Amino acid sequence: MPIKKKVAQIEAPEHVDWAPKIEVKEQLTDLRAVLEKIQAKEGVIGYILRAATSASVDIKDPSKIIDYAVLSASTLESAEGLLEAFGLGKFCSIVVEGRDLKVLLLTIGEYRVSVFMEKNVDHDPIRKELL
Amino acid sequence: MFGEKIALNEETYTLAFKNALTEIKNVCPEINRSFILMSNGALIAGDEQAVDPSVERAVRSLQDLAEKTVSVGGLDGLLIDAENGKIYVSRINSMYLITALSKQTDLTYLRTVSGVILPTILKVLDSISLEVVSPTPLRSVPRFPSTPFESEPPTPLMEEKAVEETAEEIEAPVSSEARDVLASETESESPKRSTDLPSQQLIVDKFGGLMVRSDTVQIDLGILQRWGSSLNLKEIREVDVETFSGKTVRCKAKVISDQKLEGRGLIRIPEKTCETLEVKRGELVKVKPVVPESE
Repeated sequence: MPIKKKVAQIEAPEHVDWAPKIEVKEQLTDLRAVLEKIQAKEGVIGYILRAATSASVDIKDPSKIIDYAVLSASTLESAEGLLEAFGLGKFCSIVVEGRDLKVLLLTIGEYRVSVFMEKNVDHDPIRKELL
Repeated sequence: MFGEKIALNEETYTLAFKNALTEIKNVCPEINRSFILMSNGALIAGDEQAVDPSVERAVRSLQDLAEKTVSVGGLDGLLIDAENGKIYVSRINSMYLITALSKQTDLTYLRTVSGVILPTILKVLDSISLEVVSPTPLRSVPRFPSTPFESEPPTPLMEEKAVEETAEEIEAPVSSEARDVLASETESESPKRSTDLPSQQLIVDKFGGLMVRSDTVQIDLGILQRWGSSLNLKEIREVDVETFSGKTVRCKAKVISDQKLEGRGLIRIPEKTCETLEVKRGELVKVKPVVPESE
């Protein structure tokens, strides 16, 4: 009898305060897993995953991390300015193309993702994979 | 005089690009607003639209972004897909086309149209502008009048006179320091070397970034090769950059790293050096190769 009671408690918890936290954690874990998969693709150089208080970075050339982080932040700032000026609402995705590389920036929930890749890589499947 | 010519050119460019933007909008009706950000920072709006301060601010932030994209080889394009439309920015030579589009816009078509019309107009305007503004032709020619020097070696006095004549021809003041340098070269170097010393007026293009060295400028490979062959040098390592207000800086010379900027008569000068020289994007400077003493 006591065992049955315990099982019942676990299956139907009265307090669900912790539930959203688990969801966020799960979302982060999923996102990381997807990004790891994307990172393994040919031509993908790395990614920056930013939350409000934390960030994970995986860039093949570590000397470029600061440059890429600055570029990512500047792009978001610039894009927000342009969208506000033209009254186009919030951004869904941004693609910045340089001569050698390109960057795909997305907002997923509370996370901001920047994926760096070579210019010839098709960013559309990557975007679809992430969203 | 020099300033008046520049102002006239800007007006011509503005008018031509305004019309071009209107024409592009006619063939791509999905364009809501379009602007051109010129290499000198001027903002041109198409179709009689006013450039309100918020747009100007936003476009300036884009200019900052362009300077921060050194890590990816400079800003070539930017596509922002937003809730109520798209913003597409593309580089055309040294300027940017900024368009606000509806969600359904066919970007490939827009790219094709703008990628044909704008570079063509720019090329035509540049060729006209270089003929009008710059008395120094793009092809390198001896800086000094050649006729008197072919028959007999020049005396230092004759060369000084020749320098003065050339300075008058280009209708711009040459600093006393520059004259001193030229005069001292006349005295110390062989007649052939000093008479063949080429110089060229080039349009300033500013660039910056974390890894940019302030003592190195970028020039067209063709110009450096021409100077090298006319001076019998393997390579031109240094150049003197002189503004028309008389400020001169000696910098290391490298080939323009951005292929799209090649062949446009540009000199890419790091931001810090631009500040030292007090020059802005789009201004003309006089550039001379430096001949090493050991050569």
